[in-house]
Amino acid sequence: MHTNTPELRDKNIWGMVAEFERPRDLVEAGRRVHHEHGYKKLDALSPFPIHGIDAAIGVPRSMLGYVVFAMGILGCAGAALMIWFMNGADYPLVIGGKPLFAFEPSIPVMFEVTVLFAALTAFAGMFALNGLPRLYHPAFNYSRFGAATDDRYLLVVEAADPKFDIDETRRLLESLGARHVEVIEG
Amino acid sequence: MVKQLRQESIAELWKIDGELWTRGRNAIAFVALISWVAALTGWVLDPQRFLQSYLVGFLVALAVPLGALFFLMVGFLTGSAWSVPMRRVAENILYTIPAGALLFLPIALGVHELYEWSHAEALANDLLLRGKSGYLNPQWFVIRAAIYFAVWSLWANRLYTASTRQDRTGSLEQMHQASRWSAPGLPLTFVTVSLASFDWIMSLDPHWYSTIFGLYFFSGAALTFIAVWTLACLWLRDHGVLREAITVEHYHDFGKWMFALTVFWAYLGFSQYMLIWYGNLPEETTWFHQRLEGSWKWWSALLLVGHFIVPFLVLISRPAKRKLRLLRTMALWFVAMEFVDIYWLVMPGFQKQGVALHWLDAAAVLACGSALALVFWARMKRHPLIPIGDPRLEQGLEFHNI
Repeated sequence: MHTNTPELRDKNIWGMVAEFERPRDLVEAGRRVHHEHGYKKLDALSPFPIHGIDAAIGVPRSMLGYVVFAMGILGCAGAALMIWFMNGADYPLVIGGKPLFAFEPSIPVMFEVTVLFAALTAFAGMFALNGLPRLYHPAFNYSRFGAATDDRYLLVVEAADPKFDIDETRRLLESLGARHVEVIEG
Repeated sequence: MVKQLRQESIAELWKIDGELWTRGRNAIAFVALISWVAALTGWVLDPQRFLQSYLVGFLVALAVPLGALFFLMVGFLTGSAWSVPMRRVAENILYTIPAGALLFLPIALGVHELYEWSHAEALANDLLLRGKSGYLNPQWFVIRAAIYFAVWSLWANRLYTASTRQDRTGSLEQMHQASRWSAPGLPLTFVTVSLASFDWIMSLDPHWYSTIFGLYFFSGAALTFIAVWTLACLWLRDHGVLREAITVEHYHDFGKWMFALTVFWAYLGFSQYMLIWYGNLPEETTWFHQRLEGSWKWWSALLLVGHFIVPFLVLISRPAKRKLRLLRTMALWFVAMEFVDIYWLVMPGFQKQGVALHWLDAAAVLACGSALALVFWARMKRHPLIPIGDPRLEQGLEFHNI
């Protein structure tokens, strides 16, 4: 069991975990810690997604949507260009008396390539932006980490946060109704 | 007994204020009065043009409750919780379907003015029309319309009754009842709406046919319904009604539905166009030729840009769907685009020289729309504005987008 003693301050402290019993306690604690006390480097761990937790602990909107949109546009334009180049410019071939290049028959392909590019970008981008795959995380060092996959809701405050202070932060988290607060080494 | 009392006291909280209701009714009645006087004058002055404009107005107005029928049945079948706080408003829209049967009367009377296949001399000179006359004849046309309205009204009534009864009972039974009616109702609605759009719109050009036409019409109808539903909820919000119940999270979902349906509409419209373009058969391409000639070319461009490209780009981002002012603009825009779409489907055959808008177009849309709106508005006072007995209501009120 960790205790908050002066000698621990010299150790490699990564952060602090507070354990809550109900999802709404976690959201409320996260909201107070972030919005009222100005902590920024926060994380929440729970067995299932909790509505409103992102806004509560100040997780910014992901930029993934914009990347996906850009790649979708690229796929769309790329497909049109490909068809135009192959059938209309590089090796002109009349098929069924149709124009060498026309948008009408190209749109299904443009649509499909848009979806392909967008979907692959969303898939790979989600992993990349989340830093996945990742086999280790300091929060695993929490003595009862397994509870976060079952019936406990964890609020993580990283030591890198400018407002982090072992005593202050612990007092704050305990005052917000944390059942258990623990310092985590990295 | 205690439960009943509790339900009644909750019901009181979800009522529209009497004075506000009267103001709303007066506004709708005023529009109805002016537009009906104008429309009926037009019927006397220029019956031909009146019926053409009226067909457009009738279809735009009827699209809204038909969209509601589709949407509510999907909601009941999927156990949707997010839509429960707004469901009563949609049900009140649904309730207007039987009134649509009355609005159909001028068209039943004007079959001869509107539809070429009803002319004996056209039949005599046209083998194809003679072949189709077993289906396309005035008697069977009116009987079919009666069947459509009977089916839609029955289903509308069953769903409405189940939901409003649940206000008092708070029981699961009505929920199951609504789902049981929705399961056969959904395919039946698709078939009847498809056939109705074949009868009322596609048969204006009796040589032309497209099997996807019904879905094309229905997708536009569903979109128009979502737009009108959004506008009704926003109007209530502006007047301080249901402000806490219908939050930005719900409007976000309205935005998603509008986005999804405008894409779906474009998908169907393009599928129809591309197959005909590729097949390149004269009896199929004439319909599009007509719509790409003269000023109709610009009307078609307006439809493509206004009904799909612009809304697609505007509504694709999340912040846009959460800005109520923008959402209201888009909802109004979609209603206008439904008019453009129906006009594009109906009018080119009558206006071979190019687009020729007429004051009767506006009068007819407003007349049909305000007639249904009066029925809708009468319902808004009858029952609580929220399905207070639905077990999913709390979940719906707490709903959040991830």
